[in-house]
Amino acid sequence: MTHADIAFGLILAGLSAYLLFGGADFGAGLWHLASRRRRGDQEVIEHAMGPVWEANHVWLIFVLVMTWTAFPPVFADVMARHWVPLSLAVLGIVARGSTFVFAKAAPDQPWHAPIFGVSSILTPYCLGAVATTVATGKSSWLSLAGVYGGVLTTALCAYLAAVYLIWDARRIGDPDILLHFRGYALLSGVAVGLFALPGAAALGVRSPLILVSAAAGLVSLVLVVRRRYLAVRATGALAVVSVLWGAASMADLDLDGSVAQNAVLDVVFAALGVGALIIVPSMTWLYVLFQRGPAAKT
Amino acid sequence: MSSLQLLTEASHATLLPHAGLLPHAALAHTADSHGAASPADYMAARQQMAFTLGFHIVLASIGIGLPAMTLIAEWRSLRTADPVRRAVYAELARRWMKAAGVLFAVGAVSGTVLSFEMGTLWPRFMEQYGQVFGAAFALEGIAFFIEAIFMGVYLYGWDRLSPRAHFLTGIPIVVAGLLSASFVLTVNSWMNQPRGFRLVNGKVTDVDPLAAMFNPATPVQALHLILASLMVCGFLAASVYAVALLRDRRAGRVDRYHRIGFAIPFTLAAVCAPLQVLVGDIAVRFVYSHQPAKFAAMEGVDHTQAGAPLKFAFLQFPDVLSLLLKFDPHATIRGMDTVPVENRPPAEVVKTSYEIMIAIGTALLALAAWWGFTWWRKRRGAADLRWQGWFLRVATFAGAGAVIAMEAGWTTTEVGRQPWIVYGVMRTEEAINPNPGLRYGLYAVLAVYTVLAVATISVLRRMRRRPVAVPADQPDLVGSAR
Repeated sequence: MTHADIAFGLILAGLSAYLLFGGADFGAGLWHLASRRRRGDQEVIEHAMGPVWEANHVWLIFVLVMTWTAFPPVFADVMARHWVPLSLAVLGIVARGSTFVFAKAAPDQPWHAPIFGVSSILTPYCLGAVATTVATGKSSWLSLAGVYGGVLTTALCAYLAAVYLIWDARRIGDPDILLHFRGYALLSGVAVGLFALPGAAALGVRSPLILVSAAAGLVSLVLVVRRRYLAVRATGALAVVSVLWGAASMADLDLDGSVAQNAVLDVVFAALGVGALIIVPSMTWLYVLFQRGPAAKT
Repeated sequence: MSSLQLLTEASHATLLPHAGLLPHAALAHTADSHGAASPADYMAARQQMAFTLGFHIVLASIGIGLPAMTLIAEWRSLRTADPVRRAVYAELARRWMKAAGVLFAVGAVSGTVLSFEMGTLWPRFMEQYGQVFGAAFALEGIAFFIEAIFMGVYLYGWDRLSPRAHFLTGIPIVVAGLLSASFVLTVNSWMNQPRGFRLVNGKVTDVDPLAAMFNPATPVQALHLILASLMVCGFLAASVYAVALLRDRRAGRVDRYHRIGFAIPFTLAAVCAPLQVLVGDIAVRFVYSHQPAKFAAMEGVDHTQAGAPLKFAFLQFPDVLSLLLKFDPHATIRGMDTVPVENRPPAEVVKTSYEIMIAIGTALLALAAWWGFTWWRKRRGAADLRWQGWFLRVATFAGAGAVIAMEAGWTTTEVGRQPWIVYGVMRTEEAINPNPGLRYGLYAVLAVYTVLAVATISVLRRMRRRPVAVPADQPDLVGSAR
């Protein structure tokens, strides 16, 4: 395995994590907007999303830094060419990240929630449009492929969020709300599947990953119907992330021709290794602390 | 001294052979292979970068300073036997960290904007040099993540950990915050003192990411910025309490909560002020020997001369610049005339912003000295002069002043580096995104950030309005003189 392979693998892993965790947050924002009249649904969504701030943006930062360090010309080309949708995406991130924390710090302000919801749609749409444009080799995010990719990505996020939120609704323990999210998961699952498969065929995707995605999607539908809400988190995630992997395998990027020197990547890999040794245990500790109630006060 | 000599001196002959000749070759290459941005788009891109960085730098400063203040307050609360003081310290720590949590989230998104802008505004810079300084950003990302995790642990651990363990979980926030700022600063230092690579036929080779990171400008720039951050955060927080203390004064009241809330941040900033003067002095000497054009612009030295005067606004002090720089009133100081016209920064902007920084820095130093003097007097048993009206009124403006000084200092170093994005190697105009319409990006950013700034301040004001939670059975908190 070359340095370029490892670097690309790390970038793809980062993108996958961003899609699965950050994407679910975007989708949760979409459902939050859609359930304006159902305060109970909104409370589950607020409870489910991360503490304090939008931690899942770390994955996006990781992807950006890795790409500009490991494949600088690819980064420069994508960012320069698609500066309009990417600028819109990052302004969406600003609006989302700030209204997210403002809504917690000052809950009585009515305009935080709608801005949060709208930017939760804008950002994945723009990022998905750019990703699809890059993967299909089209020139503009306004091309049919770009628009299709934007809508598909937003829909995938909505589906993921609905699937994840069923479990959260169950944890909080309201059967009605659970049924809402179950319905959303079934509906959006069917809709996304019907939207994704013809699209993949039209775009000329010839990857076996399509089958993986379709199979995982079908299994997920069955699992939701049979109320296996924990197992469906895994299959639903697989159905979504295999779309990303399929798109990545399509992309025609000159990675070997643009890869950074080994001396650079050695330092970066070593830093990531050492960083993981600190980050993983402290992250685990934070998670345990977050789950533990304040009753454990000593 | 010829321009070629200067450039070669500036960019280390062993690492950058023929550095003086390279920019023109690189420019020709850029003009051939990419279209050029219009002058309006080019200026808009620079203004957008300056504006978003200038915005982020304030949040980043608070992100360093506020956790430090919080830890001081929490440590004092653990160490104090007096129950009232204990409650006051604990309440201050809680409030400061809550505010830090909100500002951290805003800083996280304004930092995300910057990493996008690196590519959307300056793609040719990233294409050419992304791998040289990329490792520093990877390290910064790790430090930032650790800071974020412990911010969460600290905020969630308040009622879940023992007081001592809770205090200890705050330390990684401060350490990781300092590291993260330092890693970012290594990149800016590298843009001033590029190291750790060779250019062969316009292509970057022999990259040494550690040499790039630990370039000669890194220590002094990082230290200068960290001290500036602590001063900005300390004076800003003190300003808020100065307003409250003035209100108490008018009402004939003494509120210990406000006094301690003022004293901790103000003392932190006041301790940094004299250190900053020393570091600033080292920084100026460094700039003189490594970036003569920036120095000539800062000090207004148009012509190389012996016995150079120190110029400040409309004042001139003969021989003083030579004396300060070389410890010899007759020493010769290099001027702007040693720099080729096309390599000169906009001298007026650099000089004015430098003078603003010096003027405000001096005023803050004086304020810090008065605070130290009155504290020392009180300790020796004399009357407590610390809470006089004139002092509090001036202190109200210390926060805004510190912010302006920091922005001015940052303008000095960034505009003083122009026309280079990487000093002596790549011109800023070579780095720009050639696609049309960048100015609309600037307009969008201005609109969004204006709303963001107003909303952030409004949320902080709402948080401040929450009643102070100190024990109800401690009536002497409000009302006792000391």
